[in-house]
Amino acid sequence: MACGGGQVKMTTAPKDFRFGSFVGSIVWLLFWIIVIVSLVGLPLIFIILFYIPLPYSNGEVITPYLFLSMIVDPTRTIPIIKFLIHTDFFRAAVFPGFMYAALIAAATIFVERKFLAKMQLRIGPLYAGKIEGIFQLMADGLKLMSKEIIAPSGADKPIFWTTPILFVATAAALTALIPVAPGWVVSDLDVGLLAIFAILGFFPLIALLFSWSCNSKYPFIGGLRALHQMIAFEIPFILSALSIVLLSASLNLTDIVEAQYAFWFFAIAPISAFVFYISSLAELERVPFDLPEAESEIVAGWLTETSGMIYGLIQLGTYLKLYVLAALFVILFMGGWMGPQIFPQELIPAFTGEKIYNATVVNGIFWFTIKTFGMIMLILLPRGINPRIRIDILLHTGWYKLIVLSFINMFIVLAMIYGGVITPGGLQ
Amino acid sequence: MTDINNDINQTTSNLNIVEPDLKIEHSLYSQLSSEFKDKVRLVYTKPNRIKISVEPEHIIEVAFFLKNQLGLDHAESVGGTDYPDENVIEVIYHLNSYSREELAPIILALSTKTDRNSSYLPSLLPVFKSVEYHERETYEMLGVYFQGHPRNERFLLPEDWADIPPLKKEFRIKGR
Amino acid sequence: MTNKYSESLDSKFKETTNLGLEVVKEASEDRLMKLSVGPQHPGSGHFRFTIKVDGDYIVYCDPDPGYVHRGEEKMCEYRNYIQNIPHLERPVIHDSTNITYSYSLAVEELLGIEVPRRGQFIRAIASELNRQVYTLYWLAIYGIFLGHSTMFMWPTGDRELFIDLLAALTGARVTHAFNIPGGVRNDIPEGFKEKCLEYIKYFEKRLKEYEDIFYNNPLFRQRTENVGILPKQDAIDLGVTGSVLRASGIPHDVRKVEPYDVYNEIDFKVQYMKTCDSFARAYVPFLDMRESCNITRQLLEKMPESGEVRVKLQSNPKGRIGEAYKRVESGRGALSYYIVSDGSSKPYRVKISVGSFRNILALPHLLVGSRLGDMPSIYWALNYWPVEADR
Repeated sequence: MACGGGQVKMTTAPKDFRFGSFVGSIVWLLFWIIVIVSLVGLPLIFIILFYIPLPYSNGEVITPYLFLSMIVDPTRTIPIIKFLIHTDFFRAAVFPGFMYAALIAAATIFVERKFLAKMQLRIGPLYAGKIEGIFQLMADGLKLMSKEIIAPSGADKPIFWTTPILFVATAAALTALIPVAPGWVVSDLDVGLLAIFAILGFFPLIALLFSWSCNSKYPFIGGLRALHQMIAFEIPFILSALSIVLLSASLNLTDIVEAQYAFWFFAIAPISAFVFYISSLAELERVPFDLPEAESEIVAGWLTETSGMIYGLIQLGTYLKLYVLAALFVILFMGGWMGPQIFPQELIPAFTGEKIYNATVVNGIFWFTIKTFGMIMLILLPRGINPRIRIDILLHTGWYKLIVLSFINMFIVLAMIYGGVITPGGLQ
Repeated sequence: MTDINNDINQTTSNLNIVEPDLKIEHSLYSQLSSEFKDKVRLVYTKPNRIKISVEPEHIIEVAFFLKNQLGLDHAESVGGTDYPDENVIEVIYHLNSYSREELAPIILALSTKTDRNSSYLPSLLPVFKSVEYHERETYEMLGVYFQGHPRNERFLLPEDWADIPPLKKEFRIKGR
Repeated sequence: MTNKYSESLDSKFKETTNLGLEVVKEASEDRLMKLSVGPQHPGSGHFRFTIKVDGDYIVYCDPDPGYVHRGEEKMCEYRNYIQNIPHLERPVIHDSTNITYSYSLAVEELLGIEVPRRGQFIRAIASELNRQVYTLYWLAIYGIFLGHSTMFMWPTGDRELFIDLLAALTGARVTHAFNIPGGVRNDIPEGFKEKCLEYIKYFEKRLKEYEDIFYNNPLFRQRTENVGILPKQDAIDLGVTGSVLRASGIPHDVRKVEPYDVYNEIDFKVQYMKTCDSFARAYVPFLDMRESCNITRQLLEKMPESGEVRVKLQSNPKGRIGEAYKRVESGRGALSYYIVSDGSSKPYRVKISVGSFRNILALPHLLVGSRLGDMPSIYWALNYWPVEADR
């Protein structure tokens, strides 16, 4: 058609293109979809529905047909939402868990770019989205997804493909331990603080595995640097949190927050807070501790061979980690969700009877998010004002200075407890 | 070649400038000539510039004298010029001094000549460390082999360069 | 390995192991990792050097320039004296006024002409402004090499001030082709002096902020102080130039020691430091920028109000038989031209001796024995512009 008559035309259609066969193929495709859905899909759904206990609403079991009828009266969906909210799946995947953390991570990336741009007398992202390039991140994500993933020749393929997923999974596991509001935590462990440090210990291992599997020199040096750095800062990191454990007499993160009902532990342990802040910068590989990714020395460090969505996943994991460490700082030193009650007891009168709105919880979420975001900004700040540090200075800082500093604060706390100024769990 | 250098004094005298005081330049040459007699030939002196010419076999001792006695401690540039008519390649070391303040404006051009078809010269690397890369460049651009230089190797040109040295006059740019 | 630096390497491992000599050599080679820095490495530009690292220490370095070699010296032999100007400024377009400055001086000597006084002043002003443009660009890259992204953005932004001034003066943002044998291409535009003084005043304020955020930053100081020591005697022997030389304690500036054009009428100090380390090499260009503001202000004050800016040349001028060697102080040190003329309208031989090519000789001496993390700070503090070195 387009190329007929021997004319040379620019066209993308193949030479034997016929519109009839094009329509025919679509019809054929539709036919098969309908056949498969009706013969396999629908029976499967009904088999699953047979075994799963369905939620009750006003004494009725909500069958799919009843669910459709709820479109007429939206208030009828409330029981379903209430049911869903209390499932573990929702907690892990959506609210205090992954989705909430990923949203904050996305916001962090955008805010970081704008914030840094303002510090550097630039504008930052501007064109994607109508307002100040708000969709820049979405555009970047789409770009990353559409790019080809190149595995270097000689790479250890299974490790190369699984480590990025492991990285995100480990970071997501961390988000499960963060209590966001009273009662809102995926898994309320008695050893929550220890669990966080234990899971954080996986990251250097993942970085090393990935850098080794790439079969390339720059990632290898970067991976070794990451390992050195994280081990050097692990100890001051844990030690700085130890004075909080002494103060609150608990390793449970919810208990630690509740021990701060009168005052923030920052007031007693400011040196520990400083050590914790510096160590979390190093843990996150952020400026001035971005040695594993130092681009002028070792190209991009252990991320050199990442491409496409592998890079995207590792970035997502990194920002999830950033959220977790900022949240941990807030929990340990800044009183977690504690804050003045500013939300009214009843938001919308119509929903009063349903009890979906809980003023204490919303207030807790609000304060927690505000504090965490402030802390994230504080972690972003050094990127605008500092150059990169050198590896020997870094190790010296980790092993000599920060450990001593955290011990000093621990002894202060111990002296206060033995002196009877405070007891574990609050003021006397 | 000699015509070129005889004309140079004429060139400078045509300029409308005050007759320059060439005391330092002349004293440099007189020290050289008292040491080496006729081994060193003065080509020209201009304000702050002096050019001498030596035979390749004497260049190392002259260079040692220039460095140790006169204080010309580094080479600013090493360049070669190809003269196909006289069948020579002239290599010029432009020497300057950092350690003697009164010599800092002076550039002493130490020139020597080698046969065009088999170009061998003693390297001045034992005397001046600063000529290392300049001599390598001269080697690949003009084909002058510096005896005693540890690396007479390719430096700026591509790895697969298989043509004649590009600064020789018979090398023509395509289309010119 | 045929390089002389390999000796230091071998001796290093003889100390650490007690095995036989051949075994030692093999064992030492096994310990090493060979890294190629450039030309596709973000830490080098159009330049490649091979390093070998033993753990975190660099034990071997071999520079390999030439990826942007254009054969400028050969091209000069095919074009006449005026046609040569536009292509000669290509090696360093950020400092294009200075690279054509010494060419013009040398050609003027061969043609036997003298530049009018106002032309000399305009030349000097353009060259000082262009030096600022270059040094700011260099400083920006130094910032990002050390991971300081703000120090990348600020100088690249403030560089626009001087680019604006130069665009008003010459009509082009980077490749100006402003200096020609016999003077400058055109007179300064109206209101240039006031604009220039205003910009310089603002820029001096900004320089203080640079000092606060970058040079006084403790982390920056930790990374550069006592790193890559180039002692005074080594600096003299290796014949380095420009800021690298002045950082090693030698106050050598061509503008001072051999003043060209109007620089003998200007009162300025040669900025130098005696610490010989990377910090000094990074700080001296900054001090030069401050001094350059001072020089520009004086030049603007002393410039004659009116007059010719260039000599009218005959078309296709012929140089007299002879040779000329002229140098100026560029952003990277002494930049000299050696031109031989055979009496025709084209130069017989042009040799460009550039600061970058002389400074890179110090790179292996400084890198061997230092840490891998110091590689960018040592390398870029040498004030090296790869394109210029290749010519």
